[in-house]
Amino acid sequence: MPTSKRAPESVLMSDPDIILSLAGIAKSFGEKAALGHVDLDVRRGEVHVICGENGAGKSTLMNILAGIHQPNAGSIVLNGKTVTIADPIAASRLGIGMVHQHFTLVPSMTVAENLFLGRQPRRLGIFSDRRQMADRARELIARYNFHLDPEAPVRTLSVGQRQRVEILKALAFDADLLILDEPTAVLTPPEVDELIGVVDGLRARGRTILFITHKLREVKAVSDRVTVIRRGRSISTRNTADVTEADIGRDMVGREVFLVGRKGSAQRSFGAPVLTLDNVSMTNHSGRRLLERISLEVRAGEVLGIAGVDGNGQTELAEAIAGLMPVQAGKIRFGDRDLTDADLRERQQAGLGFVPEDRLDRGLSVTMSVAENVAATNYKRAGLLSGGLIDRHKLDSFAGDKIREFDVRGAQPSTQAGWLSGGNMQKLVIARELERDPSLLLICQPTRGLDIGASEFVHARILQAADRGRAVLLISSELSEIFALSDRIGVMYSGRMMRILDRAEADEETVGYLMNGGSKEAA
Amino acid sequence: MAPALSNFLRVIRAPLAAILLTLALGFLLVASITDEPVRAYRDLLLANFDSLGNFALFLNRATPLTLIALGVVFSFRAGVFNVGGEGQLYAGAVTTTVVAIAGASLPALVLMPLAIIAGFLAGAVVGWIPGVLKVRLAVDEVVTTLMLNIIILLITSWLANQVIRDTTAYGAVSWMVPNSIWLPPLPFVPRATSGFLVAAVLAVVSWIVLFRTQWGAEVRAAGTNLRFAEATGVPAARRVISAMVIAGGLAGLAGALYVLGVGHRFEQNFSPSYGLVGLTCALLARVHPIGSLATALFYAAMLNGAAYMQISTDVPRSLVNLLTGLLVLLMTARLRRAAQAA
Repeated sequence: MPTSKRAPESVLMSDPDIILSLAGIAKSFGEKAALGHVDLDVRRGEVHVICGENGAGKSTLMNILAGIHQPNAGSIVLNGKTVTIADPIAASRLGIGMVHQHFTLVPSMTVAENLFLGRQPRRLGIFSDRRQMADRARELIARYNFHLDPEAPVRTLSVGQRQRVEILKALAFDADLLILDEPTAVLTPPEVDELIGVVDGLRARGRTILFITHKLREVKAVSDRVTVIRRGRSISTRNTADVTEADIGRDMVGREVFLVGRKGSAQRSFGAPVLTLDNVSMTNHSGRRLLERISLEVRAGEVLGIAGVDGNGQTELAEAIAGLMPVQAGKIRFGDRDLTDADLRERQQAGLGFVPEDRLDRGLSVTMSVAENVAATNYKRAGLLSGGLIDRHKLDSFAGDKIREFDVRGAQPSTQAGWLSGGNMQKLVIARELERDPSLLLICQPTRGLDIGASEFVHARILQAADRGRAVLLISSELSEIFALSDRIGVMYSGRMMRILDRAEADEETVGYLMNGGSKEAA
Repeated sequence: MAPALSNFLRVIRAPLAAILLTLALGFLLVASITDEPVRAYRDLLLANFDSLGNFALFLNRATPLTLIALGVVFSFRAGVFNVGGEGQLYAGAVTTTVVAIAGASLPALVLMPLAIIAGFLAGAVVGWIPGVLKVRLAVDEVVTTLMLNIIILLITSWLANQVIRDTTAYGAVSWMVPNSIWLPPLPFVPRATSGFLVAAVLAVVSWIVLFRTQWGAEVRAAGTNLRFAEATGVPAARRVISAMVIAGGLAGLAGALYVLGVGHRFEQNFSPSYGLVGLTCALLARVHPIGSLATALFYAAMLNGAAYMQISTDVPRSLVNLLTGLLVLLMTARLRRAAQAA
């Protein structure tokens, strides 16, 4: 059954397999319609993925189920009964548990305290019974096989572990239906695999899970069925086994999408090295080694992808190449020029384009206008000055050109950059850096938090730059991105470059092994 | 011109609404104190324009406020919460006085610019210190600027009492500066300082520098997101420091022009907290240079008007402090536009 059409309500109510059924859900905020018409059937005990681009209405839909918003139209049938979910407390009473994308844990409290926050077991009605709390926490952890220490303060846990605490918190309320809102957005690839294991375990114990994501790889890995939402409407519901990633992608975007980047097999030729790092080492103030004798070369026309779990020195590598953090040993050369001690502006003049990993941190000033953000590195080059003053007309038309060329939606030159969505902010940063047609493009986490449409656009731009003979150094913790775009793949672990592989010899297994610190076999 | 005008109206609409609301609430208060609320309010707002003399005093009051507010605009736009206007003002005033007294034998054409530049530089140095400390050592600028205020005030007090004190006069005042270097009065307003023209021109210049030059864009980039500024190749630390130098310099200039144009000597208590009031003016103008000129004029009118009000009615001049508090409250708790429209 490739497509399951919504059956009439009367049939649903008598179908014990359906735990939740939504019909014709609509919601608008003021003039703006967030949801137009959503139908959804969730079967008892399945993992059901809700898939859609950013802004498609996934979060609004989940917030309706969690009792945060009320729908303007449509009905919600839970366990055969039509219900109204007035508020989050009502939702949890009905057995709906929600795990938000941003955690709601108290870092200084233990796992057990967080689990029972606000509903601690009491002795004599006033004193909290810590022993009973710890026992119940331990029992809960054991039941779901979560490998957590109930006495550990939450601040000592990794992001993946914190997420499991959040999930347990929902389960402690006896939630039959667990909603995970973009649970993988904050996780590293190995943690994503662990989470998928956790979800499988919950399914085996009979829980029903609604899993929100816009990452196609996860849809295939985790779900039984998938419902695609586009522009506030449910487009399709299918068995995951029957569809390909491309099918889902097409439903999400509403047209064919390009998911494969450069084919590894195609023979390509590269020019002279544009960037050379020779045994570069970096130490922080307290003497800890951040980069350990990194050597690499990026040639003209080539994309060198740097893979690795976040926090293994990729950020520092980018800052070293950009000249934002000093290196203690080694040489950094642009072409033949030694720029080891040069500042960022000199490196820009030598041909560097730099897209930092976090657009809100280094990429943009969210309180300045779109025009000022996109012009920041380009005032002189793009001829925006006349007589020493900024020419407003030129600035506005320059920004307007970039907005059109890079399809930055919802932007006027005078719009505050912070009002744009994440994907459009990222386009703005890339527009600014590509404007100079840099001979070396250093681009970090280019599609983090972006939906398919925007990712596809960014990927096309990266490949375009390489095809024009520019050197591209791509740093990403998204393996699929590294594999899709790179001509060679370097893997970082603990501040070291484990190996740099040719695309042909790199497979997920080898790279994954190196990412976890596997030995440099055959190196 | 039309878009510029509508843009200007958009900028001043919120402060204007807050000011009108403050005056309305203040009127209720005045009505409960005095039998002549209308008279009191007329004096508060309009007595400044009763005579050319009053008008001159009003402009003299607005001059230092404008310059200090402009300095605050520069520092705030660079992301530095500079509350050191008072210290920078005093440093400028006392330095100008010392230079003017020490160089009394120099020709006026040399001494006048020398004294003014010395005042500017003294303020600039006082601004530079917290700027460098913040950028290089991450020392909180609120602490350093506040502490510098006290240090500078005590140093000037020592100078005024021990070194340049006019021994023939009562109180902590210096010798007069040579009258050859007194600023000429404004044309048509005999007792008003021409320093006001300087302040008004500098308000426009500040706007151009901050909003129409690449340097200004870089300062604002550093002020809104230092790490972004660095990543776009802006020497962010240098921009922050130079903005603080200008901020201090403008406050120092306020002191210099006060001495040469109004006081003609250094008086230890010449400032009724100009530093803090200037800061308030800048904040009310939402850190906008032209807006700061407007709010400084408004404040000057209120400060002087309160004195006239106290003379003619039984409303105490401290009403102004109360109105100031109300105004700040209303500006920070700005009513939502939607609520206004409804």
